Amino acid sequence: MDDTRQRPIILLENVCKFFGDFQAVKNVSLAIYQGQKVVICGPSGSGKSTLIRCVNRLEKHDSGHIIVDGIDLDDSTRNINEVRKKVGMVFQQFNLFPHLTVIQNLMLAPRLARKSSKVEAREIAMQYLERVHIPEQANKWPIQLSGGQQQRVAIARALCMKPQIMLFDEPTSALDPEMINEVLDVMVELAKEGMTMIVVSHEMGFARSVADLIVFMDFGEIVESNPPEEFFQNPRSERTKLFLNQIL
Amino acid sequence: MSALSGWWGVLFWGTVVTLKVFGVALLLTVAFGLLGATAKLSKNRIAVALANFYTVVFRGTPELLVLLIVYYGSAVTLTSIAQSINPAVKFLDIPPFWAGALGISLVVGSYVTETFRGAFLGVDPGHVEAARALGLSNLQTFIHIRIPQMWRLALPAFGNNMFSVVKDTALVSLLGLEEVVFAADVARSVTLKPFATYSVVAMIYLAITTVLTLSVMALEKYANRHLEGAR
Amino acid sequence: MTFDLYLIIGSLPKMFEGIGLTLQLLFLSAFIGLILAVILLLMRLSLRWYLSIPAFLYTYVFRGTPMLIQIFVIYYGLPQFKSIQQSVLWPILREPFGCMVIALSLNTGAYVAEILRGGVLGVDKGLHEAGKALALTTSQRFIYITAPIAVRITLPAYSNDVISLLKATALASTVTLMDVTGVARTIVAKTFAPYEIFISAAIIYLVLTWLIQTGFGLFEKRMSRYVKQ
Repeated sequence: MDDTRQRPIILLENVCKFFGDFQAVKNVSLAIYQGQKVVICGPSGSGKSTLIRCVNRLEKHDSGHIIVDGIDLDDSTRNINEVRKKVGMVFQQFNLFPHLTVIQNLMLAPRLARKSSKVEAREIAMQYLERVHIPEQANKWPIQLSGGQQQRVAIARALCMKPQIMLFDEPTSALDPEMINEVLDVMVELAKEGMTMIVVSHEMGFARSVADLIVFMDFGEIVESNPPEEFFQNPRSERTKLFLNQIL
Repeated sequence: MSALSGWWGVLFWGTVVTLKVFGVALLLTVAFGLLGATAKLSKNRIAVALANFYTVVFRGTPELLVLLIVYYGSAVTLTSIAQSINPAVKFLDIPPFWAGALGISLVVGSYVTETFRGAFLGVDPGHVEAARALGLSNLQTFIHIRIPQMWRLALPAFGNNMFSVVKDTALVSLLGLEEVVFAADVARSVTLKPFATYSVVAMIYLAITTVLTLSVMALEKYANRHLEGAR
Repeated sequence: MTFDLYLIIGSLPKMFEGIGLTLQLLFLSAFIGLILAVILLLMRLSLRWYLSIPAFLYTYVFRGTPMLIQIFVIYYGLPQFKSIQQSVLWPILREPFGCMVIALSLNTGAYVAEILRGGVLGVDKGLHEAGKALALTTSQRFIYITAPIAVRITLPAYSNDVISLLKATALASTVTLMDVTGVARTIVAKTFAPYEIFISAAIIYLVLTWLIQTGFGLFEKRMSRYVKQ
């Protein structure tokens, strides 16, 4: 796939993150280019969720640099908000606002953070609801939707902010098996449209078909990162081999 | 503070009386609470109805009113009974101490009934089944399995209930009991420094509730100690 | 022992007048108390120690001392000071009604602040994160996400507090106010019929309690439309 050889859209340099004495992320460096699809995999506790949560400042990294589209992610609220507008996130637990209807969930952030008018926000919302194939659910409460539908709404909600990068934190892990595909299909379509995506997931089928780069993390470090062919055919490290044996 | 010199002794003994009322009321409250909770959870329709009546009535009636009914009502009843036996009797009452403790425990007991009921419902039915399967009688199961588990669940809410008992003891002064608020009333009318006097009483109560809070926290830790190692 | 029904019926009109005062105390204090509670809540949640600590101390003191003492401090204690007598608040503080409203408001404010705090803490953390990820500011997250959900969570506890407030209004009778309890005590003092009169008063309170519970029940139902049953 095409890497536009400009500056990376996300640059992680020597990022470290501690929780008390425990080091969750150990000196991670990674460059991600616009349009790239990166899948991060690894055993539980390997730091992969923590890592992507640092990218939109849901976790604060303790040392190193994170630069998102030229903005240095530091303590300044302005920078943080700017970054969050460019980076959309989809959570494992969906996190749809239960007290708002589907369409209200989608309209909230564009109206408040991008100061869109009600009419504009509604148009954009319906547009993305169509994109995720559930426009008829617009006026329902989240509780009335299935898990797969809720997650698709969550994806649409993130997309309404017109982000340049989409982060996915184990998007299908909380779904019943029969609903995983409807969500993965939407993600594949998104990938085809050229969105820059970082996906933390165990769905290796998805990784193999969509990813440009697969990053394997263990104990807070990047052990190996390679395009899918290399990664699955010639894993270099013992740990990678062990992991692949366990999940494939 | 110097305004109150000479009154510290009176306030001290008033506080002792307050603590005594608290102690007695607390015991009665637990008794009413256990009675009410078991009644509500029983299969006996009459017991359930009575318990429901009890909680509805006493959770909706002001504590002050209950104290007044218990004290003056019992006085009127006792006096007329006594007079029918011995016409020379002018007035017979339950001492304000007991009327007060009873009144408080009736009211807070209704809240504690709900606290205990919720706690009993929270006890894992599996544990009760295991006990029965091992051959323990109903009473033994109740004492050795249900109550120990229940009081751990009840502690936080029960702590709040105990708070209510402490604070309601102040109302007994209105029945004429010579506890700390009553002592303060006397002190105030002599020293003419109501602000200082009542502030001191407030601080005394604050001290009592603080000790209570710390005790409940310690008890909660103790009750949950077997859960601490869980991962 | 006889049960004098005529006495009850004869006393009802006066007792109903008492209801007027009771309800005035209730609504006024509930309203002021709620505003106070929101202010206290924001102070308590603040990261600035000079806001959160005073708020904590305030709630601690008002929840840890008897209502009766709080009333006495305000009603008997404050007029003691010349500065109070000369202040703007004097016309209010001079009257038992004003003192009672202030005492009730200060008290319920403390309790409701804690209830609201419990509600705010009860909002799922993931929802905050979603709000952050969508670039909403802290106040936007509080107003549009946290607050509506917290209100629904705290409704049962809040309705209990309103009922406690109703019961606390009975203490107005200790400072010469003619609320339901005050009227009842006056009548009993004349007629020596504590059972009939006090039980009637209790029935009035029970009816008011039932009305409050039913009202809140309806409100809760409406707010819980979107909740998993």
